Order: sequence, then structure tokens, then C-alpha cells
Amino acid sequence: MNALAQSGVGRAFTTPLGLFSGGYILILLVVALTAPWITPFDVTIQDLANSNAAPGWPHLMGTDEFGRDVLSRVMYGARTSLSVSATAIGFSMIVGMALGAAAGYFGGLFERAVMTVVDLTWSFPDILIALMLVAIIGPGLSSTMFAIAVAYLAQFTRLTRAQIVQLKRETFIEATINLGATPAHILSRHLLPNAVAPVIVVGMLAIGDGIILEATLGFFGLGAQPPTPSWGAMMSSGTAQLFLAPWVIIFPGLVVAVTVIAINLFGDALIRALDIRERLRGT
Amino acid sequence: MSTILKVEALRVAIGALTPLSSVSFSLEKGETLGLVGESGSGKSLTAMAIMGLLPLIGGRITGGSVVFDGSDLTALPEPAYRKLRGGRIGLITQNPMTSLDPLKKVGSQIDVVARLHLGLDKSAARNRTVELLGELRIPEPASIYHLYPHQLSGGMKQRIVIAMALAADPDLLIADEPTTALDVTVQAQIIRLLSDLIRDRGLSMVLITHDMSVVAQACDKVVVMYAGTAVEYGTVAAIFDDPRHPYTKALIGCIPRGLAGAQRLKGIEGTVPSVAHYPQGCRFHPRCPRAEAICAAVSPPFIASRDGAAACHFAGAVG
Amino acid sequence: MSEFLEVSRLSKRYTSKRGLFGAARSMYAVNDVSFRMTKGRVVGVVGESGCGKSTLARLILRLIEPSSGAVRFDGLDLLKQRPREMRRLRARMQMVFQDPYSAIDPRYTVADAVMEPFQIQGVRLSSAARSDMISGLLTMVGLNPQTASSYPHQLSGGQKQRIGIARALALKPALLVLDEPTASLDVSIQAQIVGLLERLQEEMGLTYLFISHDLALVKYFCDEVLVMYLGRVVEALPNTDAPARHPYTRTLLDSTFQPDPKLRRRIQPLAGEVPSPFDLGPGCAFAARCPRASERCRVETPLLAASGGGHAVACHHPD
Ligand SMILES: Nc1ncnc2c1ncn2[C@@H]1O[C@H](COP(=O)(O)OP(=O)(O)O)[C@@H](O)[C@H]1O
Ligand SMILES: Nc1ncnc2c1ncn2[C@@H]1O[C@H](COP(=O)(O)OP(=O)(O)O)[C@@H](O)[C@H]1O
Ligand code: SF4
Ligand SMILES: [Mg+2]
Ligand SMILES: [Mg+2]
Repeated sequence: MNALAQSGVGRAFTTPLGLFSGGYILILLVVALTAPWITPFDVTIQDLANSNAAPGWPHLMGTDEFGRDVLSRVMYGARTSLSVSATAIGFSMIVGMALGAAAGYFGGLFERAVMTVVDLTWSFPDILIALMLVAIIGPGLSSTMFAIAVAYLAQFTRLTRAQIVQLKRETFIEATINLGATPAHILSRHLLPNAVAPVIVVGMLAIGDGIILEATLGFFGLGAQPPTPSWGAMMSSGTAQLFLAPWVIIFPGLVVAVTVIAINLFGDALIRALDIRERLRGT
Repeated sequence: MSTILKVEALRVAIGALTPLSSVSFSLEKGETLGLVGESGSGKSLTAMAIMGLLPLIGGRITGGSVVFDGSDLTALPEPAYRKLRGGRIGLITQNPMTSLDPLKKVGSQIDVVARLHLGLDKSAARNRTVELLGELRIPEPASIYHLYPHQLSGGMKQRIVIAMALAADPDLLIADEPTTALDVTVQAQIIRLLSDLIRDRGLSMVLITHDMSVVAQACDKVVVMYAGTAVEYGTVAAIFDDPRHPYTKALIGCIPRGLAGAQRLKGIEGTVPSVAHYPQGCRFHPRCPRAEAICAAVSPPFIASRDGAAACHFAGAVG
Repeated sequence: MSEFLEVSRLSKRYTSKRGLFGAARSMYAVNDVSFRMTKGRVVGVVGESGCGKSTLARLILRLIEPSSGAVRFDGLDLLKQRPREMRRLRARMQMVFQDPYSAIDPRYTVADAVMEPFQIQGVRLSSAARSDMISGLLTMVGLNPQTASSYPHQLSGGQKQRIGIARALALKPALLVLDEPTASLDVSIQAQIVGLLERLQEEMGLTYLFISHDLALVKYFCDEVLVMYLGRVVEALPNTDAPARHPYTRTLLDSTFQPDPKLRRRIQPLAGEVPSPFDLGPGCAFAARCPRASERCRVETPLLAASGGGHAVACHHPD
């Protein structure tokens, strides 16, 4: 906690935009974590008598064609969308940092090989990679996660590598090598800790993009499978009665949009608070 | 001999702070005066005050006077100052790149000064520039004229800046640490160049440095500065022969003498305080080896000595 | 007694391409350098920036691999050491770096920084021993033990350099390479640091390789001096009283000012500038600037030759 305060993350909350976006994200996180206990209705139980009810009491966001509470499903969807995106991005970030750090530190042929492969994934559109993976592994949350992870791998690898290459020239690295430190010590105690801040910020922004990718795949029926509620899948099922019950599609769509905007605003606030704009340039 | 520059009880404020006060000296025609002190002692601020550049950093003169060739500059409006700067007063900075435009040929950057201040036309200015570069012992001036700053070494860039400072035939040069970033051989060449110019052109110069050996080599008079104020002034001979202020003594003691069996180098413990932390009484007292109780309480007056004066309670005492 | 450090015919060559299709050009940052050091001595390496001093330091500590040549430290051939053995050996040969501002990880506290050497070398300390060690090391380099919890950005340049020295000495090395440890500091702080280094050398019986561009400082501080020009050692002085025989060393001496106006120099103009190190032809690299250069100097490279009493000069016409 001390390290967090010292790193300046707290400062991101000091501007109005940072406070609002950060606050929204925190609330969303709480909802996602506690969804099974706090949703007003059960998300899977159908109540056909109440299907396609307009927003009002007690269904604040209305109900869908099976009479399920939209608000509850949006809340539960946060759990699916956020966890899918965050897990995938977290995984991608760890692999990307390891690859980037090793490439940047050891250089040479290894670096060239890693960067060629990584740049190859970079040159394909995300959605194309996702579709290819779905074609191989089949639809479902695991292929969604895998697709998101692969789609962002290049960004994390490149950013980490650039940081490491720059940091390697600092005198304190040479001084530490001169004390007899192993590459593992240099990487884990000096290079990675100094390189991690911008990677985390980019990772956080990527979670926003991951949510969109997850929603897109879900929308095409390639992501979360029914009856698991996810924002994309909800919108997908909502298209059938777009005119009959527009709320079924509007509310999840709205939440996706607001969430992505909030993540981007908070990302900007973080960049400013941590003073790392310069380090993000050119990657 | 006539006085070209007279600074009296100069006082500078930046916002609510007063980083500079009680700076006085006078410079005669043909003389070189050294302003010396550790970094943060107020040398550059003094130079900026003389050049009318304080507004750039949000500062202003709040007391005293700066008289250049008989006229007071403290009340000079900016347009008139612009004529003076680069015209009758030339400035040489420590980092040549603060004076040079990286995207323009060095020759044309010198031309501009002559055209602006002397009203020369293009070809006259160019001829003059090439002549000036030759006078500054720059080899092949006609081809150097067409180069860009990044194609030149540090010492050569500094010569170009000197040429810019000289382009309008000034009466006074202000050189703010002109050799600090240079190698010793280059420093020696630049110092020789400046000394020759002073002699041959009858110029006067304020030479700012933190190095007492540069003062000993190149100056006629010295003002020693500490924490935003002058602490001792006098002729170079007197100051080195018989330094009266403990700070002056300490500064001289910091320079290794290249002689065998020389006395041990003595640093000055501690660091120069920043504006917000200037001490009460004598500003040097927390670091002073001679300090007594009075030093912390009472700001010492200037006590005159042979060819100078020192602001120390014990400046009159022998030893 | 075997030599403590023996450097034989050490060279480091760099190649660079000019533009995309340009021909590869090469230069020797360090060219055929040989010398020996005995335990407990202070050997100075002096030369202008770019002459290869830092490259030589890195080669000696095997922070970079040489293009050719050998380094023996305490009887061990350093270039034959495997990575693990080399890492172990590093505890005994340490370095203080030129730039104190980036020599400490900004995320480390002073305590972390001075304890890191023990962590790296696998020395386990109880927490009581640890805090004793921290305050002992800080006191040794003249810092208040309370600075232990500070971060580097809270310290001055001089304080950071003291931390650099504490880190380098933590493991009680036998050899300390000092690469311009005071070049970025004020003269007053430079004198403090040099005083500290003198004291530590006496107390710990250290052997120093002291690199500087300041001949006056080197003459003051060192027992023996190596003078470098464009990658080569051009003169080796067995003691600081030995009169310089190489014209370049004399130029360096003549460029050094004394803090005494009675010892003003007559600065001789020096022809041209240091030539580009790339693709140097045959002959003496100093020939173009040397007042004594003859036809022979332009075609035949002078080699370092002993001239009695441990003195060696690489010049066809030494003094
Ligand atoms: N722009 C500024 N704003 C506030 N304080 C300043 C500014 N410039 C200089 N100072 C302060 O004035 C004092 C003298 O600075 P300066 O004249 O630059 O010293 P020197 O040139 O002798 O190194 C220092 O304490 C410095 O902190
Ligand atoms: N890694 C490198 N690649 C290419 N050239 C280098 C490298 N390191 C140093 N040099 C060159 O070698 C020469 C000597 O450099 P250096 O040893 O740093 O000199 P010094 O420390 O004496 O100033 C310089 O011309 C420098 O540009
Ligand atoms: S007045 Fe006191 S503190 Fe100031 S310089 Fe003189 S002896 Fe030192
Ligand atoms: Mg200054
Ligand atoms: Mg160097």
C-alpha cells in the first residue's frame, strides 16, 4: 500500500475526471465481485409471464424475452466481461513482459526472433485473430480469453522491450552488474520494477478494449454461451426484439460504452499522475 | 580610465523571494571582472539583471542600480534594452546551444546580429562574419560559415557564440561560465582568445566562473558571491594574496595546485542554501570554520582592506 | 610479489556505418594499452573527453569485452573467468561512476542501495548487523546515518556520489576504479570527495585507478600518471614530479591554470582540434597539432618506449 501511495496512483484520483472514472470503475469492480449475492433477481430463472416488461418497478431496466431481469443480468454480465477481459489481459501482460524483458536484456538473435513473431501477430486485426482462434478451439469463453491475450501480446512485449533497452543504459544497471549481480537479479530488482508502471497503464487501457472484443464475440454468439450472462451475449439476444424491447439491448450497450470511456479516462489520469507520457511515446 | 559598468546595491526579487541582494561592483574600460562562487550563489541572476533578462524568469529588480556607460538601465524600457543586448553588450552562455539555432547555418546566425544592430546589408554582413571568424582563429572560416551547429565540436560552437557576441562590436562582454563544459586545452584556448580580444579591442568583460584558477588566470578584479550576495571584492592580486573572507579562502583552497608537496585539498562542508533557506546573520555561518556566536545573529558589514572589502565580522583581524 | 593489476596490449575497436549504404568505418576507443599497477598505489589516467578513459575502465573491469589483449588481476586472467567466477570476483574490484545522478536506482532507498552489494554476493546479515552496517558505511563516507531512509532524488549530487563510494567499498574491494567521480560536481564538493577518497585510501590500503580530465587534480592525487590521447597511452609518468616529455602532456600542463595570479600562464595557441578517431592513418595522432612534428611523425606511429626510471614516452622527439 505504501508503495502504491508512493508511486503516485493516488494522484490519479485528484482531478474530477479521474475521480469520476476511477470511482465508477471501483463500483463496477465491487458489483462484479459480489454479483451473485446482490443482484435483485436470479439471472437464469425464467418468468415468461413477465417477458419483455418495460423498465419500471421492480425491473428497473425491464426484462428480456424470457422475463429475466435486465439489471441483474447487466450486473452479472459485468462479472463475466470484466473477468474475461482482465484475466486475458493479465495473462497477456505477464507473457508480454517476460518476452519483452528477455528480448530487451539479452538482445541479439533471440530478440530478433521474438520481435518478428510478435510483430506478426501485431499486423493482423484483433478480430481476425479472434475468429481464427474460435475456428480452431471452438466458441466459448476460453477462446475469447485466448484471442484477447494474443491480440495484446505484441503491445506489451514491445512496450516492455523499449523500456528495458532504455533502462539498460542507465549507470545504476552497469553499477549493479559490476557488483556481480546475475541477470535474474538485474531484471527482477531493477529493470522490471522500473519498467512496470507504463505497462500496467497500457494493460488497464487494454482491459477496456478487451471488453469490446469480448462483447463483439459474444454478440456474434462466439463468446459466452447461454445462459451465462455477458454484455455481448445480451445484446446479441436483444437484436431479435430490437423494436419490441429496445431496453434489452440499450442497457448492456450503454454500460459497455460507459465502462470503456471510464477506463480510458482513468488511464489518462494515471498517465498524468505517474508522469509517464514520455515513456509511452513511440510504442 | 572611465567606468563602463557600475552595479550598486543590486536587489532582485522573484515572486515573494529575494534571491539576490547587496551586489555592488564597478568595471572600468578594458578590465575583466570575475564573478565567482559555487553554483546557486547568484552569479547568473546578476548577469540576467544587467542584461534586462529577469522578466523571462518572472523576476524584477527591486533595489539598487545598474549604470552602463553613464545611463541607468534599471528603468530602461524593453525596446531600448533590445538594442543594447547583442548590440553594445554581448552575452556568452555556458551552453552554446542556448544561443544557437540548430536548424540554421552558423554563419547566417552571426550575420543576423550585425544586420540588426549595425544595419549592414546581406553581403557586407557576410564578409564581416567571415573576417570575424578568422580573427577568432577559426580555421577555414569561409567553409565553417556554411556548417550547422551539430557539425561542430563543443569548443568550436563556443567560438561561434563568441563571434555572435562580438558581431555588433560591443563595449562589454558578459560571459556566464563560458568554459565550464569544455576540456582543459579548449578552455585554455578560449580564455586566451577572450583575453586577446579584451586587449586588442579595448573591451571590458564580466567573466562568471566557479573556478578560482580561471579567475587568477584571466581577471583583474573579483567579486566573490555566496548565497545571493557579494561577500568580498577586490583586485585579483589582493584577493589571492590576502583573502579576507573565510569563503574566499575556502574557494581558493578547493583548487589543487599542480605542485608537489602542496597542502591538502580542503572542501567546504555542506552545500549552498537555496533562496528559501538563506540563514539569518552571515549567510555563510553554518559552513564557516571561523564562525562565532555573533555570525548567526548579525549580518556582517563590509570591512575595507587593501584594494577591496569583505563582509565578515573578522575581516579586519589579522590571519 | 606478482603485479596486482596487469593490462597487456588491450584494445577495443568500434565499427559504425555511415548511412544505409555507407562504408563501415572503424575506430579504436582504446588502442594497444599496457601498464601495471602495484598494490596500494594510486594511478591516474588523464586525457581529454573521448580519449578512451571510460572504455579503458570498463575493459579492466570486464564490463565490456576487449577486441584483443589481456587483463590479469591478482594473478588471475580475467578474460578466462567464467560468468559465475567473474561475478564472484567483482566483489574485489569496484568502480565509482562519473554520473552520480543516475548511479542509484530511483526506487531504492539509500539503505537498500548500500546493502545491495551484500545481497548480490550472498552475504547474509542479521537485522542488527544490517543496521550497524548501514550506519557504519554511511558514517564512513561522511553521511548522517539518518539519510538511510532517503530516496536518491532527495539527495544532492555530492551526497549521491558518497553513496556510490559506500556501495563500491561495502564489500571491501582491493581495487577501486574511479571514473571522473567529481567531474559533474561543484569545485567545493569535488574537494570534499577527493579528501574523502584520500582518507579512505589511507585507512583501507586501497589501490585506486583514478580517471580524470584534470591534470592538476591527477598530479595532486596520484602516485603515477598515464596520459592518453585518442585511445593510446602517450606518456607514463612514474611519479608526479617527473618532468613531462611528451609534447601533448606539456600542452595539457600549459592548459592547466593555477589558483595564483602570480603563476599566470602564457597560453600558446594550439593548432586545430582533436582529429576524428575514425580511420586514423599511420603516424602520430598528435602530429597535426604538435609543434615538434616532423615528416617521420606523419608516417610512423611512435610506440611507448621506456626512457629510464619507469618513465615511458610515445614520441619521436621527446623532451
Ligand atoms: N527562475 C528562478 N526562480 C526561483 N529561484 C531562482 C530562479 N533562478 C535562480 N534562482 C535562485 O537564485 C539563486 C541563485 O541562482 P543563480 O544566479 O542561477 O546561481 P549561479 O549562477 O551562481 O549558479 C539560487 O538559489 C536559485 O535557486
Ligand atoms: N559503445 C560504443 N560504441 C561506439 N563508440 C563508442 C562506444 N563507447 C565509446 N565509444 C567511443 O570511444 C571513444 C572513447 O570514449 P570514452 O571511453 O567514453 O572516452 P572518455 O571516457 O575518455 O571521454 C569515443 O570516441 C566514443 O565515442
Ligand atoms: S561573518 Fe562569521 S560566519 Fe560569516 S564569514 Fe565571517 S567568520 Fe564566517
Ligand atoms: Mg549560473
Ligand atoms: Mg568518460
